[in-house]
Amino acid sequence: MMSRVVGVIVITLFITVFSLVIALGGLGYVLPPESVRELARQYLLIAYNPFNKTFTVFSPEVVTSIVWDFRGLDTLFETVVFYLAIIGSVALARGFKSSKPEKDISQYGLSPIVKTVTRVTVGMILAVATSIALHGHLTPGGGFQGGATAAVVPLLVLVIFSRYYLETRGVSKNAMLAIRSFGLIGIGLTAFIVLIIGLMSGMNAYVFQNQPKPDAPVGLPALFDGQIISGTLWFFNLFEMFAVAAGFTIVFLLLSIPERDVFKYLKEEGGEY
Amino acid sequence: MIDPITYFYTVLLLSMAVNLGISLYGIFYKPSLIKKIISLTIFSDTANTFAIIVGYIRWKAATQPPQPPVLTNLNPTEKDLVTFASMSVDPLPQALVLTAIVIGLAVTLFLVFLTLQAYRLYKTTDVREIAKLRG
Repeated sequence: MMSRVVGVIVITLFITVFSLVIALGGLGYVLPPESVRELARQYLLIAYNPFNKTFTVFSPEVVTSIVWDFRGLDTLFETVVFYLAIIGSVALARGFKSSKPEKDISQYGLSPIVKTVTRVTVGMILAVATSIALHGHLTPGGGFQGGATAAVVPLLVLVIFSRYYLETRGVSKNAMLAIRSFGLIGIGLTAFIVLIIGLMSGMNAYVFQNQPKPDAPVGLPALFDGQIISGTLWFFNLFEMFAVAAGFTIVFLLLSIPERDVFKYLKEEGGEY
Repeated sequence: MIDPITYFYTVLLLSMAVNLGISLYGIFYKPSLIKKIISLTIFSDTANTFAIIVGYIRWKAATQPPQPPVLTNLNPTEKDLVTFASMSVDPLPQALVLTAIVIGLAVTLFLVFLTLQAYRLYKTTDVREIAKLRG
C-alpha cells in the first residue's frame, strides 16, 4: 500500500516538473540558458584548431574529442561500469556448461540459403564495424558504436547456425574474456602512455594527456604517415571496440546455453528443480 | 497557419511526456520483471532523446540548417572555425548519450540475465511472488 502511495507521488512530481520545464520553454525562457552554449562553443572551436596548439585535440569529430579527450575520465569510468555489468553476468552464470552436440553440427540451425547469406554478410558487418571504430576520430562513430556493430555477428551466428558452430570456430567464453581483457588493458595503457613516455624521457607529462601542452611537451602525434590519427583517440577507439564487442559476445553466449544444461547443473548443485 | 517547426517540437515534447508517464507506470505498477525492464529501456530512451533535444539549436534561418558537430574542412582558417562553432549543434549531450546507450545496453543485458536466473530458480518473474519467498 505504502509503495503505491510513493509511486503516485513520484509519478505526479516527475510529470509536473517535466511539464513546468516545457511550459517555461513555451513562455520564452530559454532552457538551457544561452551561457551553457559557451562551453559547447569552446569545444567546437578547439577540437581541431591548428591556431590553438595549447588545447586542440586535432580531431575534426568534436563528439569523439569530448568522449576520449576533454571528458576522457568520464568515459573511462563508464567503461568500468560496462566491465562490471558483464562481470556480473559472468558471475551469475558461473559453472554453467553447454553439453556436447547430439547430432552433426551442420544439422542444427536454419536452411542452407540463410546460412550462405549469413556467411557473406558476416564479413561485411565486420568490415563496417571496423571502419566505424577506426574512423571514429574523423566521422560520427567510435569504439562503442563499432563494438556494438561487431557484436551483431556472434548474435547472427548463434541464431542462424547454432551455439555449437560458434564454439567450433573458437568463439568461447574464455576466448572472449581474453579479448575483452586485452581491450581493457589497451585502454588502461593508452591512458598512461604519454605519462610513461614523459617519465622515460624525463619531461613533464600527465595521465590521460593526448597532444603536447606548453608545460608538458611530450604527446602522441596527431598525424601518422600523413593521416590524422588524433594521438590517443585512434587507440582508444580500437581497444574500446575489442572490449565492447567481446563483452557483448560473452553475454550472448551465456544467454544461449540450453535450459536443460542449466537445470542439469542446478540439480547437481543440490536444488530441487 | 501554424509554424511546422513549432508543431514538430510540440508533438515531440508531448509524446516524450506521454512516454515518461507510460514508462514510470510500467516500472512502478507492472509486477512482471520483464515488463519492468522494458519500461526501463523506454525511460532511458526518453531521457536520451530529451538530452539530444536540449543540445539542439533551432534553425536560425530556413536556408541555414544546423550542422552536425563534425568539421569537414581539414585546412580551416580562423574564420571557418568561428562559423563552424556558430552553426553546429551542441556536441556535449551527444557525447553523454553515446556512452549512456552502450552502458544502458550492458546493464539491460545484466538485468535480463538476472531475471532469467530468478525465473529458473523460482519459476516466476512476478515480484510479489518473489518477495514472499523466504530463504
